[in-house]
Amino acid sequence: MNTTGIPLKDPEVSAAAGDMEQLERAYIDASTRVPVLMFYTSAIAWLIVGTVLAMVVSFKLHSPDLLGGISFLTWGRLRPAHMNVMVYGWASMAGMGTAVWLMARLCRATLRFPLLIAAGAAFWNVGVLIGVGAILLGDSTGFQWLEFPRYVAVILFVAYTLMASWAVLMFRYRRGDQIYITQWYLLGAFLWFPWVYAAGQLMLFVVPVQGVLQSAVTWWYANNLLFLWFGAIALGTAYYMIPKVIGRPVYSYHLATIGFWTYALFSSWTGMTRLVDGPFPAWMITASIAATILTMIPVATVGLNHHLTMQGYFPLMRYSPTLRFTVFGAMSYTVFSVIGVLISLRSVASYVNFTQVSIAYSHLGLYAFFTMTIFGSMYYIVPRLVGREWRYGSLIKLHFWASAYGIGLMTLMLLAGGFLQGANMENPALPFSESIETVLPYLRGRSLAGILLTVSHFIFAYHFGLMLLGLGRTSTVPTFLNPVEAETSGGH
Amino acid sequence: MKGLAPLFIGIFGTFAFSWVGLTVIPTWQIGHLNPESDEEGTDIYPRPQSGMFVRGAHVYAANGCAYCHSQQVRADYIADDIERKWGNRRSAPRDYIFERPVFLGKMRMGQDLANIGARAPAPEESPAPGGAASPAAATSPATTTAAAPASAPSTAPAASPGTSPARAVPPNASPPPGQPTGVASPSPGQMANTTPGGSSPAAPSAQTPGAPWPIQTAGLPPMYSAAWHHVHLYAPRSINPDSNMPAYRFLYERRRVAGERSADALQLSGGDAPPEGWEVVPTFDAKCVVAYLMGLNQSHPLKEVRSVGGAPAAGAAPSPASQGAAPAPPAAGSPAAPKK
Amino acid sequence: MDYGEQADVQQVHAAVQREKREPRVGAEPLSIWLIAIYGLAIFFGGAYLGRYSGNFTSGGLDPMGSPPAPKKAVAGGPSGGEQAELSPRDRGKKIYAANCQTCHQANGLGVAGQYPPLAGSEFTTGGSRRMGMIVLKGLQGPVTVKGQQYGSAVMQPWDKTLTDQKIADVMAYERSEWGNTASPVTAEQIAALRKELASHPESFVEHDILAAPDEDLPGGAAPPGGAPPKPGEAAKPAPPPKP
Repeated sequence: MNTTGIPLKDPEVSAAAGDMEQLERAYIDASTRVPVLMFYTSAIAWLIVGTVLAMVVSFKLHSPDLLGGISFLTWGRLRPAHMNVMVYGWASMAGMGTAVWLMARLCRATLRFPLLIAAGAAFWNVGVLIGVGAILLGDSTGFQWLEFPRYVAVILFVAYTLMASWAVLMFRYRRGDQIYITQWYLLGAFLWFPWVYAAGQLMLFVVPVQGVLQSAVTWWYANNLLFLWFGAIALGTAYYMIPKVIGRPVYSYHLATIGFWTYALFSSWTGMTRLVDGPFPAWMITASIAATILTMIPVATVGLNHHLTMQGYFPLMRYSPTLRFTVFGAMSYTVFSVIGVLISLRSVASYVNFTQVSIAYSHLGLYAFFTMTIFGSMYYIVPRLVGREWRYGSLIKLHFWASAYGIGLMTLMLLAGGFLQGANMENPALPFSESIETVLPYLRGRSLAGILLTVSHFIFAYHFGLMLLGLGRTSTVPTFLNPVEAETSGGH
Repeated sequence: MKGLAPLFIGIFGTFAFSWVGLTVIPTWQIGHLNPESDEEGTDIYPRPQSGMFVRGAHVYAANGCAYCHSQQVRADYIADDIERKWGNRRSAPRDYIFERPVFLGKMRMGQDLANIGARAPAPEESPAPGGAASPAAATSPATTTAAAPASAPSTAPAASPGTSPARAVPPNASPPPGQPTGVASPSPGQMANTTPGGSSPAAPSAQTPGAPWPIQTAGLPPMYSAAWHHVHLYAPRSINPDSNMPAYRFLYERRRVAGERSADALQLSGGDAPPEGWEVVPTFDAKCVVAYLMGLNQSHPLKEVRSVGGAPAAGAAPSPASQGAAPAPPAAGSPAAPKK
Repeated sequence: MDYGEQADVQQVHAAVQREKREPRVGAEPLSIWLIAIYGLAIFFGGAYLGRYSGNFTSGGLDPMGSPPAPKKAVAGGPSGGEQAELSPRDRGKKIYAANCQTCHQANGLGVAGQYPPLAGSEFTTGGSRRMGMIVLKGLQGPVTVKGQQYGSAVMQPWDKTLTDQKIADVMAYERSEWGNTASPVTAEQIAALRKELASHPESFVEHDILAAPDEDLPGGAAPPGGAPPKPGEAAKPAPPPKP
């Protein structure tokens, strides 16, 4: 009965239930249940914490006396706390949960020591908790995206080793002869993250580089984290979810190959675009700008691949939450990249550098692209782990629209406000304070968008909590966003 | 793609490519810079940091100042940083070789701070001991401003105990003008500053270029002086009501006046001022961060970068008063503009 | 979680059961248009890289290799360009702003009781010798200018800090600014005066200055309206320093 020969603690299942492939998948899902749910639960908890921090940060920027004067609530500490909670708490953990599940499924290997990974997740949580506490209490390192003190990095390394070594081993001992696209991206992500993190820590704290190179390393790290860790996970996820849900193959293998390698090659060079016009040799900055132009290659390739895969099946987005979130994320990747090119060009950068535009860019990448894609994957994966379907389609719908409008409004506000801020900064006839006055109403608009996002996240957390408590729907049919008019085979 | 090996090599290769290209090669190029000095080996720039400056940098990092303030001056042909008097030349890698961490900054919700120390007025005659950049207020009841004899800008910084010890200004090579102690009596022009009407502060801020905030209200210390920084950190909106800066009140202590008002006490007014008999004094961290700010000075010319903003071309041992001439003539706004 | 409690296997595996097979990849060929887009991207990226890299040098902070000419006038000088391109008056103004303005003020009126004015001052508008002596060697002690006494400040000597040309430029500026109309000064005159005063190490006091003749330094052009040099006294050396 147990075809894989691996001792499992799982209940007996009848072979009559389905074919071998389905059984195998069921076993794999069962084995990943504890670690992945642990990742997701931690991630969503951090999402709530990070969202609350984000609201305070956003409001404080235009109403600075709100909760003012208290050391651990000062804006300069809340902001890195928010960022690190979102990057290392929410995004990394949700990404790892999805990646572990995907890797297990695609390598067709059950997770052998799920408690090891769960321990890794626990360690990671501890690290993030200590790190955020340290930042709020005044021990931030001062390097953007790397504000966690050095001792936290050690904890995160230990945690990551526990978690990711199994993922890489799963890949090494995979079954089947073809390596699917998602596996390339995920293997890349699992390997790139420790290398990038280690390089950043080494060059900033262990063998520190001199002077402005610290800034160069910081932004090399930040962009590599964004693209080679988060972006790779998100793209890999999209490459799985889209064809899986609609039941059609990905359009072209060649596009996928070119997309993957050019993505890895060019995206990793884009870090210096955050430092345009800074005190650096010009070639470094220009190389990054040129790389950003060249990232149009993977953007076009991946976008085309997804689009042609989906051709004719876009109406399914009306029903499937996974598809809707994932396609939103994949499209956002294109938008995010194009905006990235535009704001990196020197002539534009001289206006938008030092403005809110860079915040818009970061959030487009981390939220509109990565987070929405991961939401989609969570809507797909969680039912397979808890054996229940999502309870309320309406809540999923609310989640989607609140998030979509929230990030859309936020991007609009910050881009518009940032451009105006930059234009005023570049006008020496105007006092500097004028640029701040100009951007203030847009910051208030951003807070409004933040309210939408907060609502969305609380809804999702509540819904997920219901699933964790076993209060999902028992059903053979998944929860659709809208009722299906006719009996179609489009279910998943 | 088949096989772990080609995939692994490719994954490693793409990582190594960007790592080498963007961090290793630049380290090879600009990662081992030395400070510049002139032929005699004096006038070294930049100087290694020490003391309160270093601790102040840590306070700056811990409180996230770099998330709103940048510390880089862009070239004149790219942006208007120099026209805004934020510097007299663009920043170069050599300016930052002794900074850890480097606060180039990514956002300007507040002004660029690369030369904030250079834009300070001439060092104030400070009665406070210890040499730290204390916000020495001229505490005599008749005066409410700090820069009492500061209108004597030819005072060499060495002569005045009030300057931050780690300031990047090279020691005054030209012989100090030998300020006689008679300067302790404020000039009549200076006294005009202390009248309640406060007419003359309008002159300094109107004259001080690069001070784009609205005319500062009377009773405040001279803009960008140490005392001003303390007031700005404690209650930014008392200086500019439209400011978005958080109030760093936790860096200060409110305590009862013990006998005489402390020399460090902040000059506050209006709603921010403590009640009668109380004073607000900076903690050591606040003093350190202000010492750090007062030491931020990139106005020293560098051979590799063109100075644009009218720095003395000879550059050799200019008088300390002229050091700040480029970013903002420090005492051009000296209160005694009209001759009484 | 009730994974283990469900007896109905159909329900437990419902999600898995209804799944489609694991994704696979098609093998459509690349479109020629896509290759054209790749070519464009590579071209623009490469061109950008080639053009704006400052020759790939470590010191090349400017993308085009060297900073372009300043696009607008920068404060501190009318053109912000090389010193040689400034007019003598502008040079003098720059030097004044950098060195003298802090005491004597931008309007040349000084500070009452502390710094004497230069506008309308008898030393500034008189002969260039006295003025040159003050600028080169400095002045200390009380001095009366325009009927007012100034005693508290000390003027530093500039002979070590400023070159002859610069002293000449700034003196010429001061002598023709703020309503002053006095004779200009040349670098050669200052050089000669410097030699004369080489043995005089200390600052002058007012007595020394007044003891010197109120004449222009020899060798200059005819002054616009100042006192003509007295040939007999032109070569008179400075009086010996007072103890």
